[in-house]
Formats: sequence, C-alpha cells, structure tokens
Amino acid sequence: MIDWLTGGGLFSSGHLVITGAPWAMVVAVVLSVLALWLAARPGPIAGRWAELTLTAVGCLALVALAARPVWLAEGERTEPGRVVVLVDASRSMGITEPDGSTRFAAALALAHRIDGAEVYHFGGDLRPGEPALPDLDATDIAGALQGITRRYAGEKLASVVLITDGIDRGGLVTTAEDGTRTIDRTALPAQLSGPLTVYQVGRERAVGDVSVVDVHAGSFAFLRAPFSIEVEVAATGVKLDAVPVTLTRNGQPAGSRRITLDEQGHGRAVFEITPDTPGRFVYEASVPVPEGDMVPSNNSLSRAVRVVRDRVRVLQVCGSPSMDQKFMRLFLKEDPGIDLVSFFILRTQADMGSGYSPDELSLIEFPYRRLFDDDLSTFDLVILQNFDYAPYFEHDAPTLLGNLAEYVRNGGAIAFLGGDRSFDLGKYADTALADVLPVTLGVPGDAVDLAPFSPTLTEAGARHPVTRLVGDPAENQALWARLPALDGTNLSLGPAKDAAVLLEHPSLKAGAGPLPVLAVRQVGLGRTMSLSVDSSWRWSFAEAGKGGGNQAYLRFWKSAMRWLVGDPDDQAVVLDLPRENVEPDEPLRASVQVRDAGFQPVAGATVRGAVDSAEGSVGVDVQTDASGVATFEVPTAKRGAHRVKITATTADGRSLGAAETVYAVVTRDPELDRVTPDGEALRALASSVGGRFVGPDGYTEPLVDPEAGRVVRDRRESPLWAAPGLGIVFGGTVSIAWWLRRRGGRR
Amino acid sequence: MRISRRNALLSGASALATLATRPAWAFGDGTRMDVAEIMLPSGTVSRPNAWTRLLLEVVQTTSVECTPRAVQVAPDDPELFSHPFAVLVGTGPLPSLSERAREQLVRYLSYGGFLFVDDASGEPKSAFDASFRLLAQGLFPTRPLAVLSADHSVYRSFFLLREPVGRVALHRVLEGVQLGSMHPLVYSQDDVSGALDRRADGMDLSACVPEGELQRREAVKLAINLVLYALTSNYKHDQAHVRRLMEEGRLE
Repeated sequence: MIDWLTGGGLFSSGHLVITGAPWAMVVAVVLSVLALWLAARPGPIAGRWAELTLTAVGCLALVALAARPVWLAEGERTEPGRVVVLVDASRSMGITEPDGSTRFAAALALAHRIDGAEVYHFGGDLRPGEPALPDLDATDIAGALQGITRRYAGEKLASVVLITDGIDRGGLVTTAEDGTRTIDRTALPAQLSGPLTVYQVGRERAVGDVSVVDVHAGSFAFLRAPFSIEVEVAATGVKLDAVPVTLTRNGQPAGSRRITLDEQGHGRAVFEITPDTPGRFVYEASVPVPEGDMVPSNNSLSRAVRVVRDRVRVLQVCGSPSMDQKFMRLFLKEDPGIDLVSFFILRTQADMGSGYSPDELSLIEFPYRRLFDDDLSTFDLVILQNFDYAPYFEHDAPTLLGNLAEYVRNGGAIAFLGGDRSFDLGKYADTALADVLPVTLGVPGDAVDLAPFSPTLTEAGARHPVTRLVGDPAENQALWARLPALDGTNLSLGPAKDAAVLLEHPSLKAGAGPLPVLAVRQVGLGRTMSLSVDSSWRWSFAEAGKGGGNQAYLRFWKSAMRWLVGDPDDQAVVLDLPRENVEPDEPLRASVQVRDAGFQPVAGATVRGAVDSAEGSVGVDVQTDASGVATFEVPTAKRGAHRVKITATTADGRSLGAAETVYAVVTRDPELDRVTPDGEALRALASSVGGRFVGPDGYTEPLVDPEAGRVVRDRRESPLWAAPGLGIVFGGTVSIAWWLRRRGGRR
Repeated sequence: MRISRRNALLSGASALATLATRPAWAFGDGTRMDVAEIMLPSGTVSRPNAWTRLLLEVVQTTSVECTPRAVQVAPDDPELFSHPFAVLVGTGPLPSLSERAREQLVRYLSYGGFLFVDDASGEPKSAFDASFRLLAQGLFPTRPLAVLSADHSVYRSFFLLREPVGRVALHRVLEGVQLGSMHPLVYSQDDVSGALDRRADGMDLSACVPEGELQRREAVKLAINLVLYALTSNYKHDQAHVRRLMEEGRLE
C-alpha cells in the first residue's frame, strides 16, 4: 500500500531529486500563500485551526507536486560473459557439399548449438543477426574480428566463435614469393575480446571444381606482332591429370592446348597469337565441365584485346629502279609511321653479260618466295611498282600470284603501279592477281600509249578520300587540273566490276568509257588500287620546279595508303569505346564519328544498330550532333562478350557506312574463383591468437573464458509526484478544509 | 613504237635471247634516265660522250631504263626539273650564281634531284675546287660538304667499292651535302668523267693514272653506283641487304 502511494522504492537506499521547473514551484508557493491568506479571513482564527491546518497541508502538497520529486536508487551487479558467434554468409558458403547440404546450413546448425549466443554474420563487413542467405559478395575474416572487437570494446567476452569455410578475400593471409602462407597479424585486432574458436565448414577437396582462374592478355597488342595469352586453370576435388583449354576469338576457334596439372591442381596454357587485322577482339578461354564440377560458371573467362598498328608495314617491290620508284621510296622512308621493306630488281638475266663478277656486286638474291608466301601476311600493303613477275616466279607463278590474291581477300592491300613491266606488259592478264585488280586486263597488241596526258578527275574521284587532296571540291578539281602531265599509260579493258574509277584518261577509251588511270576496289576484306602510269613522281618534282612544292604528291600517296590499309580512323563511320574490358555495371559510353565521302562530319545522321551478347540484344538509335558525333551507353550488367554493330544513314536514308566493335564484361564471381575450404588458414588463425580450431569432422565445445563477465549498473527512478500519495493528500486536505469552512458558515 | 633498248643492246647475246625480246617502253624519254649537264658561263666543261658511255654502261649492267644522252641546261633553266640526274664538271673557277639560279639549285636538290660535281682539273688543289666549295657553302650554309663514310650507300648501291677513283686517284674520297637521309650533292676531285670520256671514234680520251685500265674500270663502276644511288638512295643500307651481304662475307 505504501509502495503504491509512493511509487515504490522510497525506502530503498537512494536520494531525492527535484525535477520540477522553478517557475512552477514559485507559482505553487504564491498560490499557497494566497490560499492561506484567504482561508485566514474573515473572522477570528480561534476555532478554525483544523480548517487552516488542512489548508496548509494541501498547499504543501501542491508545492511538492510542482517540484516533481523523484526518488533515485542506484547499484551495481556482475553478470556472466557473453558468447558471440560470427557466421560467414558469403556466396562460397552456398556451395553444396557431397552430402547434399550446403556449408551455410552446416554453419547455422553449429550456431544453433551454442546457447545464448549473440549471432552476427559477415561478408565484406559485419552485420548483426543471423543471416537468411549466403549471398554476400566478399569474405573478410579479419575485418569481422575487428568489428567484433570494436563493438565490444572494454568488455571481456566469454567466447568468440567463427564459423566459415575459410576462403578469405580480405587480408587475413599473406603469401610469400616462395609460396609460404602466413596469417597477417597486423590485419587482426591487437587483442581479441575473448577466446577464439574457429569452426570449419566444408571439406577440402570434397567439392569438385575446374575453373579458368585468369586470362592474362594485356589490353592491347600490335598488328602482325606475336603476343601471348596465358590462361590459368585450377582443379579441385576432381581427379584430373590434364585439361583441354580452348581459346576463341570473337566466337571463332583461335587455338587449343592440353595442359598437365600439377599436384595442387594448377596449370597454365600459353597461346601465341599473331593478330592479322586491327580492331577489338574478345578472346575467351574455356575448359570443359567435368562430371562433379559444382561451379560450372567459372569454367570460362573472357578478355577483350585491342589490336593496333604499330607502324604500317609496306613492301615495295620494283622491277627496275626509276624516278617513280625513287620518289615513292623517299616518300615512304620519310614517314615515321611506315615500316618499309624495299626490293628493287637492279639486274636481270639480260644484264648479266656485262663482264662483272658477282663478287664485285652488292646484289642479293631476290627472296620472292619468302616475300610472297611466308612473309606476305606480315605486310599491311604491297606496292608492285612496274614489277614483272614472270622472270622470277617461273613455275611458282600460279601459287605466288594466288597468294597475293588471297592476301587481298583476307584483308591485305595492293597498289599496282604502271610501267613497261606492269599491267598487260607484265603478262598479268588471266592470272589470279588480275582477278582482284580494279581494272580488267587482256588488251591485245601494244597495251601502252606513250602520249603525254593530264588525267581527269571523275565524279567518284571528286568525293573519294584518295583523290580528295583539299576539302573544297572546286579547289580540289583545280588542283588536279594544274598538276604536271604524265608521260604515258598502260592500257586496260576498263574498270573491274565493283571498282571505282577516280582518274580517267582525257581521250583514250576502254570499252564504252574512258580509260581508267587511277581505280580502286574493295575485294573481300582487302583493297586494291591501280595507277596505270610510272610518272606520278612528276606531281612532286615537276610541281616543285614550278615553285609549287610537292604537297599534292605527298597528300595523294598519304591518302592512298591510308585508304588502302583501311585505317580504322580513316573510315567514314568510326565506332569507339574508351575501354575493352569493364567491370559489371561499370558505365561505358560508345561514341560514333560519322563523316561523308569527303570526310566532312555529318550532322543529324541516324545511327542505328544493336549490342548483342549471349544474354540478348539491346537496340541503338541515336543521332549525330553538329560535329558528326553521337554517343550512347552500352550495357555492362551481364558477363561475357558483347558486340556492337551500327549503321549510319543520312536523314533521307542514304547509307553512310557501318562499323562494329566488341568489349567484354568481366563478371567473374570472386567468391566462386576458389571453392575449396581453407582449413590451413583457419588452423593458423586459431593458432596465432591462442584459440581453438575445430575441423569439419567433429564438434568440440567452444573455448570459454570463465572469468569473463560484465558489470551491470542498476539505476531505479521512482517519480513521487506521479504516485497517488501526493495527489490524495492534496485532494483530501483541500476538500475537507473546504467542507469545514462551509459548515462554519463561511464562504 | 619505240625500239627495245634490250633488243638493241643484246641482239648478239643468243643465250639471253628469250629475255631480251621483251619490249621495254619506259613511258616517254622523260621517264627514262638521262643526264643534265649544268653549264655556267665559265669554269664548266661539257662531256656528253662520257655521260652517254655511262648511261650505256648502266643499261648494259643494270635494269635501269636510260636514254643515252646528255642535255645541257643552265642552273636557272626550269628544264632542269625534267632531268633528276644532273652533273657539273669543271676545270676552272666558277662564276657566282644568280639568286634565281641559286634558289633553283637548292629547290632541285631539296625536292629529289641529284647533282654529281666532278673536278676535272686533275690537280690536287684546283681553282675549280676552291670556287665550288664557295658555291656549295652558299647553297647550303648550314650543311657543309663532308667526306662520305666508307660504308656509305654510294659505295654499295650496285658494286661494292673500296675507294672512289676517276681518271686520277689523288683524293680517293667522295664528299657530299646531306639532306634528310640522302646526299643529293656528291663531289669528286678525281675527274670521274675524265675516265668515262671518249673520242668520237669511241676510243678513251684520256689515260687513267696511275693504274691505267684497272683504275678506269673502277671509275666506271663508281659512276654506275652514282646513278644507282641517285635512284635508290640508302636502299642498300636496308637491314635485309646488309644482313645478307654480311652473311655472304661480301661486307665486313
């Protein structure tokens, strides 16, 4: 009853605390004085002592209520130490063991065996509570222990329990150059909050997995220069002595190796690749999925490689030293971007009766077989300058000329220049090479005209980058018109199908049209150009003699070379990506530069296409801005190779060209790179902190520190003003005093 | 139709008849190699027979197409640019060149022309030599005449030569002015053209001293090398050639 009236605790050890506002107490005092003054008048006080006493008691109760008194009782007690359980919730814990249960289920079962524990889970960071799923994308064991230490700073825990497969991707383990693995004590707390017990879930080598651990390819390679792609393979839990490794380039086979695995199940395959075309390519290494492989998603890995030209590699073969050859070589040698290999026929069989012994000569044998067979693919451009094949190729002619034609179809380029040993004078008609030239050969009789002439720029030539020497069309036309005349021309039967004639003879005819002088042609993946004269040097030397310099000659040949080798930056539509390999969800924007035939930027061009991957296709539909550039975001959410293919059209639907490129999203899940539990590391961790390691084959109670405990401070507040006692006193006394006053006839 | 130069030159070579029957057009005289003799009002000499002989030797020995002729041009004549191979032969002091001639010569050499200068005096220190050195310094003030190194391309452009000689063998070096990777101006003080020159009846005009016909043979080889160097520049310094020649022991 007393406790009820006082709110309890009034008689325990403690002290009174006034919590009321001072102004409230002042108001209560003033009201009390006023009430007593009113109660004392009118009339004598004698005989009214009871009424006045009750009024005074009521006023005291009012002041006490305004003071809001609280009875505060404080004390201390000691409770037993806490047990903390850390459960690894990373994705590697979701792996199913041979017994059919996951490591995660085993971990939860262990956690439940420890009564009264406070449970946390961790991946890359520490989180309170029991995990619902093993879905965290990292494992940082040392970080989790650091987190517990910070959280329970100053408290001695009875036990710290760690339940994990031990596959750490934080800084727990360091590996020396000799392969020795040690626990990095600096990554751990200086002093753990309690004795550590480590439970390993999952058995080493119990899970079968073959994986491509990494593909080392660098981000770029040089065209026609060998580079290595190294594939790291690891196998655990499956009995394999050797594994076949397959490499593809943009989905096409690029090589295969069978590698032997060492005792630890590691092996590496090295592929020597010599890229033959510039651009971006996705190389994917893969290994088969054997029976029992629990993680098939890590059996392949992609890397994109950008192949760039170091320098344009040019083979210049000339049948006879001449002014044309001289000026061509000077041009080629002075360009630092050109790697030139020249072979000039300085002496033929016809010159061998001149009485000089071979020892007096500095001549070397013409290595035509090597040049036009083994080494042919190493050149970006072959210049056949007034070269007659017949005296050298002999019975190899069909093969070697066939090689040249195939070289073009596979992406090579040939510049076929005129002269007295070239075109029909070089007996090229009806050869395999003639099939890829821009003009048709087979002119009967004298296939040459010796009259000087000035070639005429065609309509196609006015637009084509090869003959567009200056941007302004009228100025370009005038420039060509004023160049020095040429000395004569080889004849032909006219342009080949699909060829474009850029310069034509002003009067000679070839079939129904003018005789082509300069013509170009796309053949398969490669390009050819024919120039039916051997005096283009006059555009340099004679022009210089007139005070004009040699810029027209240099620009012409520079443009011709760039077009012939298909310089990626010299295309009408250029598609570019800032990177070849990206992480999942990493932003990546593609840019498209659109130019017309005269290489002027095209504003308002429509760029349409798609980004294709194994996961599906995403459309592209953008327009170029005033500078002829359009950009768009490409998807990076899904792993693997992606191919971007676009076409550009003008507003009226005319095609401007197409382009494509590739990139790779490297979505390798690091949690599934290694799946074998790391009992060695866990054992070393327990040992390094004086703890206990419990393997997957048994159960031992966790270490407990019997002296661990925690001091608990008790503090009890009893608000007297809120208890019924004061209210009853105040109400009762004031009511009785009022009743006595009324009974005495006072108001 | 033009006459095949090989038919003309090799008509008696029955063993090579098959190859020799191929026509050789070389579109127009301008495209074929000839020699422009730069003539000044004084100090220079014309030796058309020497150059005709050289071009015939070139045709007979190499695959280069030539028109065996020498044309005389003044240094300020725009016609000079129709003949990328020029010679200047002299015996006496050269007069000063006009500004126009000087500019044209510099332009000629800078844009691909080649000039062989030959001191025909046969003297160790000639008036021609002194005046030409002044002329060369005036043409290229920052690029002095310098002795060509023993491994220069001109010594291996066709023949492997150990030392350059002409009608005389007093200096046994060539000098030159380098522009870019080439020496478009080459100078000899040993009268190379004198060793080539012939009388109208085809006999040699002068004896070569001190080694007679053996020396003339070397002079002809040097002259052929000059033509080939003018056309192929440093071709014989390309890696493929050097490596092969060294493998065969023909170069050290």
